[in-house]
Amino acid sequence: MLTAVALQILQTTVVVVAAPLYAGVLARAEAIVQSKRGPSVLQPYRDLSKLLRKGSAVSENASWIFRGAPFVAFSCYLTVSAIVPIITDEPLPLAFLADLIGGAFVLSLAGFAIALAALDTASPLGGLGASRTTWIGSLAEPALILVFFTVAAVSRSDNPYFENHTIANSATAYVLPTHLLGLVAFFILVLAENGRIPIDNPTGSIEISMIEESRVLEYSGREFALIKWGGWMKLFLLSSIFMNVFVIPWGLGHADSFIGGLQGTLALFGKLAICGFVIVVIDSSFAKLRLFRIAEFLGASFLFALIGIITGYVIGK
Amino acid sequence: MTIFSEAVLLDLLSVAILLLTFACLGSKLFDRYVAYYALQSIVLSAAIALVAYYLGAWDLWALAVITFLVKGVGIPVAIRRYLIIRLELKRDVAISTGISTSLIIGALLTAFAYFAVSPSSLPDGLIATSSVSLSTAIILLGGLCMVVRRNTVAQLIGWLILENGVFLGAIALVATFPFIVEAGIFLDLVAGVLIMLTFVSGLAHRLATTNASELRELRE
Repeated sequence: MLTAVALQILQTTVVVVAAPLYAGVLARAEAIVQSKRGPSVLQPYRDLSKLLRKGSAVSENASWIFRGAPFVAFSCYLTVSAIVPIITDEPLPLAFLADLIGGAFVLSLAGFAIALAALDTASPLGGLGASRTTWIGSLAEPALILVFFTVAAVSRSDNPYFENHTIANSATAYVLPTHLLGLVAFFILVLAENGRIPIDNPTGSIEISMIEESRVLEYSGREFALIKWGGWMKLFLLSSIFMNVFVIPWGLGHADSFIGGLQGTLALFGKLAICGFVIVVIDSSFAKLRLFRIAEFLGASFLFALIGIITGYVIGK
Repeated sequence: MTIFSEAVLLDLLSVAILLLTFACLGSKLFDRYVAYYALQSIVLSAAIALVAYYLGAWDLWALAVITFLVKGVGIPVAIRRYLIIRLELKRDVAISTGISTSLIIGALLTAFAYFAVSPSSLPDGLIATSSVSLSTAIILLGGLCMVVRRNTVAQLIGWLILENGVFLGAIALVATFPFIVEAGIFLDLVAGVLIMLTFVSGLAHRLATTNASELRELRE
């Protein structure tokens, strides 16, 4: 039990501490692919320490929603980091809190809080960003639910640990069309949820075309640090779920050995390197989609998951 | 059960063909539309080769090679050279329902095909029962391509997709039918494509368009 608690703390610490590093490595790798030098991989940490030392300026029209939203969002990401398989393949003490659908609910709660805060100050760009993000979310949500159904069709459960065990132990389950289609559909959603290309440009600085970033233009100082940190944690979490539950279910530690957890952490970094490489390649080789083509892109994810479920129904297990 | 048994591989290939059909249905550019069709035919030839390997039948090997050469290379190149480049076709914006709607209709048709030809209703002893349901879905989607597209060239490719679906169903259901029948089907196919090429070229020559909606004026 003590080991499990220690592992629980280790898991959340890994997410909180390594998430900025993951974002830094992605930014650096992207710059290198585009023949630039790029910022140091430690740049996100420097940004954080700078922002955390600064005071924040809040519009006098802002209410408590604006001040509270960063904390709500950050704690949502902390909660998710406790319940999904990140360094162990067995549920840790807090994993009873939620299954995949519950995790998705907590993640969208964070998005909801930030969208409310963006509307709160009544700045036009914040409202624009909030409405666009919510629109994309409303398209991504049905696809996400269908991806969970493909998971359920493979493992007969919506618990990520069950899915991990099912495809780790059976090569037949791994090559099921249902699982492979669910994998592709979920990857599209990972890109969409984190505002990566082809949905949104994470490094873009033109306000009128921003989607995710324009929600948080009003923030500064500590609150902005929390928002940015939360965004990096979201990318880290979704990439880890994608790799651990869908792509490489092996190499995780067990709940009864702390050393295993440390090895699982190392393995996780290796997996994230692969996932990050794919994201960087996509970021550098595709252009951002026009806003109304996003519906077709997410429709593809929906279609993949739907065909996966129907195929699972036909082929069976 | 080994991982890569023939049934699992044939299922995967059939799903790949189905996905490429959806890619055809959802693509606006003619170049991509034809490229997806070519890729689909190549995957189909791989599926035939797989069945040939499984049954150890030389005529199926020959069929796989013919499929690859005729459908995977010959017909796409001919369509590209004689229709797309000559008629300067770029995008087929004249889709009667819009891309998203046609994709949703396609998903519904797929579900319908799965219910209509459920694997439990098929006889035992088939290589992969799910390929039959998948091929039914591909036949319906090929038909859908012909219905929603307005351009005759796009409709022609829809017909070819439908034909690919028929072929997939044929090798999954009755892989042992005589070679002469298969060769005859291919002859029909090539003749059909030739007739369509001539017809479409003539249409473009007369009307300066290949848009089938223009044909409605004949009613008046």
